[in-house]
Amino acid sequence: MMPLERFLIESLLNFLTREELNAFLRSPQNTATLIGALIAVSGALLGAFLLLRGLSMTSDAISHTALLGIVVAFLLMTGVFGLEGDTSSPWLILGASLAGVGTVLLTEMLYRSGLLRQDAALGLAFPLLFAIAVILVSRFVDDVHLDEDAVLVGEIGLAWANTNSHCFDRCQSVTVSEDHPAARMTRQCRNCRALGINPRDSRAEFVEVCGNCGDYSPAQAWSAGLLEREPALVFFPKSITVTLVMALLTLAFTLIFYKELKLATFDAALAKALGFRPALMHYALMILVSLVAVGAFDAVGSILVIAFFIIPPAAAYLLTDRLALMLLLSPLIGALGAVFGYDLARGQLFGLLPVASVIALINRVFGLELIEDWDSSISASMVLTIFALFLVAWVFSPRYGLIATALRRANSRRRFADQVVLAHIHNHQHTPQAATELRVDTLHAHFRWTPRRMTRVLTRLRALGLIRIESGGAVLTERGEGQAHRFRRTMLEARNMPSSAE
Amino acid sequence: MTSGGALSADDRRVWLIIAAMALVSLLLIPLSQALFGLRFTYTVRVVALGGSFLGLLSGALGCFAVLRRESLLGDALSHAALPGVAIAFLLAGRELSLLLIGAGIASWLSLRFIAALLATTRIKQDAALGIVLASWFAAGIALLAYIQSIPDASQAGLDHFIFGQAAAIIESDVRLVMGVGSIILCLLALLWKEFKLVTFDAEFAGANGLRIGLINTLLSTLIVVTIVLGLQLAGVILMVGMLIAPGVAARQWTHELNQMVILAAVFGAFSGGFGAVISALDSDIPTGPTIIVVAFALVLMSLTLAPGRGLLWSRLRQRSNRRAFAARNTLRHLYRYALAHGAANSPVPDSFIRGVGDRGAELGLRELGGAGHVRLGESGWQLSESGVELARRDLHNQQLWETYRLYAHELDLPDLAEDREREIASLLPADALAKLEAKLAEGAHP
Repeated sequence: MMPLERFLIESLLNFLTREELNAFLRSPQNTATLIGALIAVSGALLGAFLLLRGLSMTSDAISHTALLGIVVAFLLMTGVFGLEGDTSSPWLILGASLAGVGTVLLTEMLYRSGLLRQDAALGLAFPLLFAIAVILVSRFVDDVHLDEDAVLVGEIGLAWANTNSHCFDRCQSVTVSEDHPAARMTRQCRNCRALGINPRDSRAEFVEVCGNCGDYSPAQAWSAGLLEREPALVFFPKSITVTLVMALLTLAFTLIFYKELKLATFDAALAKALGFRPALMHYALMILVSLVAVGAFDAVGSILVIAFFIIPPAAAYLLTDRLALMLLLSPLIGALGAVFGYDLARGQLFGLLPVASVIALINRVFGLELIEDWDSSISASMVLTIFALFLVAWVFSPRYGLIATALRRANSRRRFADQVVLAHIHNHQHTPQAATELRVDTLHAHFRWTPRRMTRVLTRLRALGLIRIESGGAVLTERGEGQAHRFRRTMLEARNMPSSAE
Repeated sequence: MTSGGALSADDRRVWLIIAAMALVSLLLIPLSQALFGLRFTYTVRVVALGGSFLGLLSGALGCFAVLRRESLLGDALSHAALPGVAIAFLLAGRELSLLLIGAGIASWLSLRFIAALLATTRIKQDAALGIVLASWFAAGIALLAYIQSIPDASQAGLDHFIFGQAAAIIESDVRLVMGVGSIILCLLALLWKEFKLVTFDAEFAGANGLRIGLINTLLSTLIVVTIVLGLQLAGVILMVGMLIAPGVAARQWTHELNQMVILAAVFGAFSGGFGAVISALDSDIPTGPTIIVVAFALVLMSLTLAPGRGLLWSRLRQRSNRRAFAARNTLRHLYRYALAHGAANSPVPDSFIRGVGDRGAELGLRELGGAGHVRLGESGWQLSESGVELARRDLHNQQLWETYRLYAHELDLPDLAEDREREIASLLPADALAKLEAKLAEGAHP
């Protein structure tokens, strides 16, 4: 990770000064938005394929069971290998990814036994693994960072504070040993604990211990006041690196295997016949999903990860039929959600309306006394914003949206009404019953419509120049005649289709 | 039907298991006290009682979720309850029944949202569940974070709804759960026929004038209420396991809905009670997850052991089928070779039988040898008297089947499903068999 960060910073320093970069990274808003957007990109790209394969809920299961992998890896690290229990260690990420793949395998094993269905297999596998994880945590782990709460919600707002430092100039590492002028020596009782006695006891023996000896990196040395000149430092948040790697990895995977993924998603049988190994794609996808779910674990928490996996692709799915466009739109939607989500958490709805005034309104209407100061979870707000974008797509999508569908339906209902009225007039004009059948003021009764509806249809037909009213009866114009003929012909053809094909 | 005097062996077994599990669940506290030598406190008893009853309830209702392929719906609905809890708290303060009503309303709204999404878009069920789960839950988290920023400290314990906090359950909670739960069970019994119909054949139900939409909504609402009641115990994440594990386990033992639901209810009650008892052994064992692990152990046991369906049984059946098949084939090869080379008991060279039978020959010879139908003589394998008899009967049976196939219509024989491994003599009535034998004796055999 460190060389990558260094490379990144060096390339960024071509455009920015060091101070600007540090100021940018130190802002919680910039860091959180950037991390959210990066997670949104990797989640949405993978999620699009999950959605198309009907595997969306698998990401839910994987993000839950990641906890088991983390706990087991943590216990192995501290218990068996005697390592420091560090929650951002790559071993934990490895363990969590393995647990994710394990969930998929367990589900498939249950499902393949043929004794239960796929949804039940998934619904059994992940509560079990999560339950085991919770039992292990509450029995064996006392670390504050490793509780279920952290897994659920995450700390994206604090990501800016958890940094790696990189030094670019005037770098000076300091080693403080006992004879160093800055060394602080303290007296410590050597045998108090062994004998169980108080340091004031006469039997106590003392040694001189150095309280601050050790190796200091330039950043640590500067903050400990061991250096006279400030080194040129850049503090880079760790989460940005992790999520950036995830995003690049998924992007590369999607670009390189675009054809294979597309084929395996839409026609697995053909993919297999052509030798594309769809099963391999499936597991590669699942491994990546686990990796991203775990990488996002620190930032947005495991449950909210699935929002980034599922909702943006679903919104994009409502907007387009093309896979390539869907893959472009869903990260965009996710990233937009991340940007506006931060504002929402800080009390701004899409930069339009302060949440405080909404709460004030609620207070006035219901006579409550809620606090108007809205300061809420950043990751949850990002999810809510993405959900709002989904609702917008659902309502306004040009092809599948609620409005478009309603308009289309109304339109075809109108066209149908026009056609049947024209056909009715066509059938009855020039017949003896014409006078009774085509009287404008009773016409609605023949269709069992309301008079208003008939009036509306007749008005429209007259405006279109298809009929005219002559002495209280409807008569087809020349254009109306042609229209009715065409309609009749298409109906007949449609009916005769099978026989004419013989 | 099972009602009436005569119970089939399968039914008797299922009822026996139900009775045994119910007895164990009822006597759980005294039994475990005797086994572990512990004295359980009042709190543990309350939690165990609540756990058992919730298990019973969710087991019974969960069957329908499992059968309707909506197992994951429980997951979405339980997550979706959270904002309801938070809003109810903001509006009305900390009063359990109101919090639960809020949870139920939020969860129910999410159900309607899923239905609307499925009806108006091409988004499939799993994605719809995921969308609702994530966004409702996010709303809940956002509201909880807002509540926590309020200086008034009375919000403590709201996050019990996320992970479940069985130890915090008190007697009045259990009373509430039992009251509401009894109403649910009564409704289930009253609307049994309707629920059964919409679960298995919604179109038929609709054609018979049932209002499918209404009944579906009602059934889902009962499931929502069950989930909401269980949240305190199991929490939103584990509730889905609590809901479906007993149903999946019960499904393995029976094909009858009534047996399945009752069995799932006792399985659920056992997991709830036993989980609570185990977690009482040590303060570091959380109750909800332990219940899930117990329930899953029941699932595993059922998947393995369930007669006829379980993995162990199908493995055993496969093995005995393979053996019978190998033995029959080997016998036929031996008999045919021996007849072609003189008498029925003339020796057959080892190399021949292994050549034609390959790996099956080894197995078949071992089977036949074990039963004393064949033995290895000086010059090869020789059929014993019983072996010759068996082979002759088998040949005769095959010829009868062949004759039946050709002449069943002509001889006006009753219809049989052709299964040549069974004795046709045992399937046909005596007169029909006599006709068939006569036809075969005429030399009609091809």
